[in-house]
Amino acid sequence: MTMLQSLKNFVRSKSIHVAYVDVGSCNGCDIEVLACLAPRYDIEQYGIFVHNNPREADVLLVIGAYTPGWEEKLKGLWEKIPDPKAAIAIGNCPISGCLFARPHTLVDPPVAKHIPIAVQVPGCPPRPTEILSAILSVAPTVFKDYEVRK
Amino acid sequence: MPLSLVYYAKEFLRGEWARKFLAAKTAPLEIPPYFRNYPELTGKTCTHHLFCMMACPAPGAIDVISTPEGWKPRIHIGHCIRCGLCVEACPNGVLSSGRILESMFYDNTRLSFSFRIDVDQTKCMGCGNCAVACPVNKLIDAQMSHGGRASTDDLLLKVSEGKCKVLHVEKCTGCKTCEHHCPNEAIRVARLLEAVHAPEEDI
Ligand code: SF4
Ligand code: SF4
Ligand code: SF4
Repeated sequence: MTMLQSLKNFVRSKSIHVAYVDVGSCNGCDIEVLACLAPRYDIEQYGIFVHNNPREADVLLVIGAYTPGWEEKLKGLWEKIPDPKAAIAIGNCPISGCLFARPHTLVDPPVAKHIPIAVQVPGCPPRPTEILSAILSVAPTVFKDYEVRK
Repeated sequence: MPLSLVYYAKEFLRGEWARKFLAAKTAPLEIPPYFRNYPELTGKTCTHHLFCMMACPAPGAIDVISTPEGWKPRIHIGHCIRCGLCVEACPNGVLSSGRILESMFYDNTRLSFSFRIDVDQTKCMGCGNCAVACPVNKLIDAQMSHGGRASTDDLLLKVSEGKCKVLHVEKCTGCKTCEHHCPNEAIRVARLLEAVHAPEEDI
């Protein structure tokens, strides 16, 4: 990798676009993700831009325990995200199903069965701080060797 | 015009301003010490009462395992919802999280358990699996035959007239063995958790 390429990768990793998708949660984690946008945590000061367009996203936050309505849809959404990309599981729900993982449940956790998950943030819900540090920790690895891979 | 450019440069080339503009301004990326995080072991001896497992609302979040040093609760991250109920339920203070133990000490509170057994009479087939499996029954009448019929009324539950009858719900220890052995999901054990203000000598 040339100097210029690594500089490009570095600059890209400082400007991360995030989309989030709720595949069936109690909304607790959605509220914590929204709290990241508020001035108290202010995710944009780290160069992270949250919107809801998978075609522009680098990082996908997956929230919720995967209800039947998301079969097919989540995979299609994941494929719409251009490379390089990473998915972060937010909360216990996408990891284990949390409180919904009971006998006869309709949910189908973990989400890692359906799309590749790079990072898991456990907690019900996790603190905004934990979500923020998870996004910040994947940001450098997403674009690490993008210039040579491209 | 040149004057305003100079003024502009003077204003924006100040190091302090540039730092403030370019660097992150708030510093929230730390977790306060009072945060109720995943329960941690305090090093006190676990007596295998399993109150932590009974209080835990999250499936698969806690189990108590046997180690060479004795029983030890184990928290499973990704399942635990950090509610702190296990910390409050433990009679020996084996677990701690945030300021739960301190506030329990100052408020003089503890959790007390009681259990309720519901038998859905329309689903119950009277097979007696619950009565035979129940470890409390086993202590009272070790001879209990399959089918759950017995002569004594001291039993916790037994089958009479083709249906399961709960006789002494106060003897239940909340283990849910009956629930797991019922083929028809007819019997349900509810664990009732109550925060009580403990008398002085109890803590
Ligand atoms: S992890 Fe907890 S807070 Fe988050 S969506 Fe699941 S149940 Fe709700
Ligand atoms: S903190 Fe709550 S969810 Fe976690 S192990 Fe204890 S009782 Fe279970
Ligand atoms: S939950 Fe109660 S009734 Fe059921 S097996 Fe255990 S002690 Fe017996």
